[in-house]
Amino acid sequence: MNLRRIFWLLPIVLLPLPLWLNQYQQYVLNTALLYVPVGIGFNLVVGNLGLLAFSNVAYFGLGAYVSGVLMAQFDVPWWITLLPAALIGGAAGAIASIPALRGVRLFYLAIMTLAFGELMRWTYIRWEALTGGSMGMAVPVPNLLGWTLDTDLRRFYVFLALVVMLVAITDRLLRSRFGRAFMAIKDNEIAAAAMGIPTDRYIVLAFAWGGAVVGIGGAMFAISVGHLTPVSFDLTELLRQFAIIMVGGLGSLTGTIIGAVIVTVAPQVFISFPGFDELVFGLLIILVILFLPRGLASLLARAHPVFVERYYRG
Amino acid sequence: MLTLLPQLLISGISTGMLYALIALSMTVVYRATTVVNFGHGDMVAAGAYAVFVFGLGFGLPFLVALALAIVLLFAVGFATQRLLLQPIVGGPHLSLAMMALAIGYTLRGVLRLEWGNETINPQRPYLQDAYMFGNVVITTDDVVICGIVLLLLVVLFLLFQATPLGKVIQATFQSQRGAALVGINVPLFHAFMWGGGTALGAIGGVMLSMIAPLTPDLGQWTLVQGFAAMTLGGFGSLGGAVVGGILLGIIQKLLGFYLNTVFIEITGYLVPIVVLLLRPQGLFGRRAAVRV
Amino acid sequence: MADPPLLSVRNIEVRFGGLVAVAGVSFELRAGEICALIGPNGAGKTTLFNAVSGNVVPDAGSIRFRGEEIAGLTPHEISALGGRRTFQNGGLFPELTALENVLVGLHVQVGSGFLGLLFGSSSARAEVAATERARELLWLMGIGHLAEQKAGELSGGQQRMVEIVRALATNPLLLLLDEPAVGLSPTARQQLAVVIRNLARTRNVGILLIEHAIELVMSVADRVIVLNEGRKVADAPPEEVRADRAVLEAYLGHA
Ligand SMILES: Nc1ncnc2c1ncn2[C@@H]1O[C@H](COP(=O)(O)OP(=O)(O)OP(=O)(O)O)[C@@H](O)[C@H]1O
Ligand SMILES: [Mg+2]
Repeated sequence: MNLRRIFWLLPIVLLPLPLWLNQYQQYVLNTALLYVPVGIGFNLVVGNLGLLAFSNVAYFGLGAYVSGVLMAQFDVPWWITLLPAALIGGAAGAIASIPALRGVRLFYLAIMTLAFGELMRWTYIRWEALTGGSMGMAVPVPNLLGWTLDTDLRRFYVFLALVVMLVAITDRLLRSRFGRAFMAIKDNEIAAAAMGIPTDRYIVLAFAWGGAVVGIGGAMFAISVGHLTPVSFDLTELLRQFAIIMVGGLGSLTGTIIGAVIVTVAPQVFISFPGFDELVFGLLIILVILFLPRGLASLLARAHPVFVERYYRG
Repeated sequence: MLTLLPQLLISGISTGMLYALIALSMTVVYRATTVVNFGHGDMVAAGAYAVFVFGLGFGLPFLVALALAIVLLFAVGFATQRLLLQPIVGGPHLSLAMMALAIGYTLRGVLRLEWGNETINPQRPYLQDAYMFGNVVITTDDVVICGIVLLLLVVLFLLFQATPLGKVIQATFQSQRGAALVGINVPLFHAFMWGGGTALGAIGGVMLSMIAPLTPDLGQWTLVQGFAAMTLGGFGSLGGAVVGGILLGIIQKLLGFYLNTVFIEITGYLVPIVVLLLRPQGLFGRRAAVRV
Repeated sequence: MADPPLLSVRNIEVRFGGLVAVAGVSFELRAGEICALIGPNGAGKTTLFNAVSGNVVPDAGSIRFRGEEIAGLTPHEISALGGRRTFQNGGLFPELTALENVLVGLHVQVGSGFLGLLFGSSSARAEVAATERARELLWLMGIGHLAEQKAGELSGGQQRMVEIVRALATNPLLLLLDEPAVGLSPTARQQLAVVIRNLARTRNVGILLIEHAIELVMSVADRVIVLNEGRKVADAPPEEVRADRAVLEAYLGHA
């Protein structure tokens, strides 16, 4: 059991990694890192709780825009914007859970949450005074307590620290009775309620917590790309995020991390044309569903018990 | 302002007819297989592209190109069900939804790789003209669209009501095991209906590409309008899909004109949210009871 | 006056569209009493359970649990008050192990809230205690060796046992068992009868039991309520119901 602790060495091993990376590779690695919280929040709702919510990109975009707009128009330091980014992301998650609380499930829920996400994208396009509309907006160079985060290298260390923290908290959450309750709700919602679990409250909790974590990912995205446009939050982005949790493994925290890295790095191997992302993510998802329905994490879990997660069935 | 109302209604009905056809093609697939095809929109768009390629690319006459496209899209739908969905039927709903969505995106990616984001304006196979009735303008497009959709509706209605196919669809929707017991080859039937629904949607796509710019993103637009029409009319109801589609077209035009043009874009998103919150069963659907 | 009865059901009515599934049923259940609920298929037995456990909201009538009105409360609220149930079919969490299923049953007893979990000390001790208790109960019911197996992979009878263990893990005051003997072997049925009787006699649990296995009903029930088409047609000690051949033949068909 305590062998799991060796995982905490992983970030330490990553510390000197930038020495061997050029600037572009560093940027790609940062992107992979920021997709870890994005995938964590998504996987919590879809993988652990088992609800077909398609609104993850909404929290992601809101986190990015809240952070970017606060920095650009109100001179709020980036690290402080993390809080409103998380709060707004979490609030959006809670709103997106309303249909689920009213008993909307399966593809009905998918359609509603998809619509919610797309409406958010229209908000970025139309609210030009704040967001710059379809032309987008520049995000100022952030600083952290006086330290300017003007290079990918510097951002890397900040991102790494944030990601380690969010992974640690999520790990703790999923291994607790909450993780067990989420899985019970996924397996049999009626029986879960009969066991005294306030299922509605847990659904809101998972959506809101997931939304908050994704919102933080959005704030990381804002400073990583430096320029926000609504197209970054379209349905292709949704497909990318689905690819992350499905390739990694639905309901697996390890899987989310693996998925974030693979889905970010894999397309870089090829030269990108318009349409290429859609094709790659689409094919990835098809292949995973057909041949590895529980994701890459299931291979790990079968390979060695140290990779077995408490409430993920590989 | 109100003098424009009849005009808005006419053009709303005309586009609404197309939504109705697309919603109907999605409903056919859903009724037959109980799977919602999240990739349907892209298949519809692929149909429009197929006609374009056969017509302009190979120089075939329009009707031949259309016939080939229908056959091709039937094959695409059939093969998709057979090869990609049948193996995971009975698995989690998420897998089914994601499989369909991913297939759609793969198609869209292929379209975009070939045509980039450029807009194609396919040639109409007839001359566009406009007729004045008082202060209402009716275009040839309106006439052609309404005519063809009405014709297809009649054909489908006869098919479902007056042939055994309708009964088979009903039986399979209600109980797949029961249908299998009375000798229906359920997987083959499913593949067939996927093919049929896809081909039907493709006809809608061809007409849609005459009144809206043809880009790889047409599929997403189509899917959203189809969902909106289905939820409005009542998910799974054939008649509901038709009425929902027409109403959606009208609502879109009215909101877009009287409130703000942004509603032309977002009505398709607002409608399912409002309907599922206020009247989840839609106009004609029946509320599904949850059994303990 | 004595204490109010554990459960007091008054004129409960449940309708599904035009169908009246339960039509004005009243009865009482005292602590420590075992009451069987029998009747033909579709008589409304499960629906009556659903009303008591909060899974359906009755259209009319009152349900009092220890004197408090519970009609309209949510299932988890009723569960928290001490009313637990099993389901006629598929009541388990198939992906969770047998042990984890029982732990979900103990969920409310396993400590900390969300924020406490994130920032305070973990509730590790409560979890360990719950796990011990869950294991012990599984052994007691003779299925301890199945603790680590996925519930979905157990046999029908084993699943029933896990569900019963899960329901009684929290020491409920009221236990609703919906056809618990289905799929059980004759020995397991006898064992179940012993468990049911013990719960009532030694722990004073009030038990409502829906069961088609008539010999189990006759051997454990203090009272038998017969439902037919949503109405109560008999409420008497088992010997009397047994003697009432007409009741049995009319409402059990296969008696
Ligand atoms: N959620 C529901 N929606 C509509 N009708 C229902 C619902 N639940 C039960 N019914 C109907 O109510 C009636 C009573 O059903 P119930 O399940 O209570 O019977 P039962 O006595 O438990 O039968 P069995 O012995 O078969 O379990 C039946 O006609 C059933 O079809
Ligand atoms: Mg029953």
